[in-house]
Amino acid sequence: MTPHPPSSDPSPVVVLENAQHRYGRHQVLQGIDLTVSPGECAVLYGANGSGKSTLLALLSTRYTLREGRYLLDGIDVRQEPHEARARLLFIGHHTHLYGHLTPLENLQFFTSLRTIPTTDQQLRHVINTVGLNKAVDKPVQWFSAGMRKRLALARLLLAHPKLLLLDEPYSALDTQGVGWLNAMLTTFLHNGGSLIMASHDPERVAALPHRPWQLARGRLHPISNAQESEAC
Amino acid sequence: MLIQAIYRIAWKDVVGDLRRRATLSSMLFFAISVLVVFQAAFEPDRQEALRLLPGLLWATTLFTTLVGLGRVFQAEEEDGAFEGLLLASVPRGVIFFGKWLGNLLLTLLVELLILPLILVLFNVDAWKHVPAILAILALGTLGLTGLGTLLAAMTRGARSRETLLALLLLPLTAPMLIAGVQAIAGILQADGIVAPWIKLLTIFDLVYLALAPWAFGWLVEE
Repeated sequence: MTPHPPSSDPSPVVVLENAQHRYGRHQVLQGIDLTVSPGECAVLYGANGSGKSTLLALLSTRYTLREGRYLLDGIDVRQEPHEARARLLFIGHHTHLYGHLTPLENLQFFTSLRTIPTTDQQLRHVINTVGLNKAVDKPVQWFSAGMRKRLALARLLLAHPKLLLLDEPYSALDTQGVGWLNAMLTTFLHNGGSLIMASHDPERVAALPHRPWQLARGRLHPISNAQESEAC
Repeated sequence: MLIQAIYRIAWKDVVGDLRRRATLSSMLFFAISVLVVFQAAFEPDRQEALRLLPGLLWATTLFTTLVGLGRVFQAEEEDGAFEGLLLASVPRGVIFFGKWLGNLLLTLLVELLILPLILVLFNVDAWKHVPAILAILALGTLGLTGLGTLLAAMTRGARSRETLLALLLLPLTAPMLIAGVQAIAGILQADGIVAPWIKLLTIFDLVYLALAPWAFGWLVEE
């Protein structure tokens, strides 16, 4: 789970300055400033509709940043979006999996589109690691939500991103799955990866070293750990 | 590496379709239905059937292509897969070409199956022209599916996307279809003119396949 490439550089992975986003005339995000360093986890709290998913979509490059500045691992994302996409991994509410493909085929497809050189043996090993070894040849359409989530998160073990973006990562996971995910994320952070996640679940996030932020009325504010449960 | 990505996207679509037997079977069923209706409606003699063949072929190709295009992004509608595709670290044009290639292969397969069927059903003696006819069909299908894939992406989220797709595709491909009909008619006639129509088809292909990836990239930006 070493971020790609292995980082000894202390400069921030994410630098977002004065980011704005609007849907039509509705200003969703305004003046967003966020800096995330290697090994750091930023957790975004906020009420439904506060703009957490929009901010993650901007950071993932799914939405185009029209106003403001966004540097990812030193790359100007507005200028070089493809380069930026190679350095991040976004797992949102959707798992981005194809139901007609098996876990192995889904991971083959993922690695091809990211130009990650892998062998089938490595992919099978990753599938085993996320606990899906018994379902390796079954089409994903028969998987439960939790199994799909595990497979989606298996991409983290292949992509070695500098930045991991997660939207409500604990949803659909059972207690064992939450423990497994937190262990995986702790290793990722320990190896210098940066994590930004949106969550409504401070109890589960508490297992990770993190910096909490609150999104309210389109603006992002740092909050203390004591304020987390009120910020959801 | 980019070629590998194009191949993987196309592979995913073709394998998916063969597993679900969705698009290919719909296209084939639709093509056979159209041909049977034409045969029952016109009941042409051999000479007349030879004259009608180019138009019949292209009309059937167009209708079956429309059926295929209506489903070209179906797999991407599951579980945010389209978003996942757009987050890949490859240029948008690569995604377009992958989707186009998958659709092209399925359409070519249908054409390969309907041409012998049409010759048998209409009792047309044009077997010696089959390779040339297939080559012209394939040439026209490059541009037809290129433009069609772009329009399918454009109408992806629309409520009545298949109607919208037909409304957009039919007028835009009309000149290309005329060139395709004339090229096949030229082959079937002893002294027919073929070369200018093939040049025209090639120009359409080049224009559509040059502009569509760029337009696709612009279209999917949010």
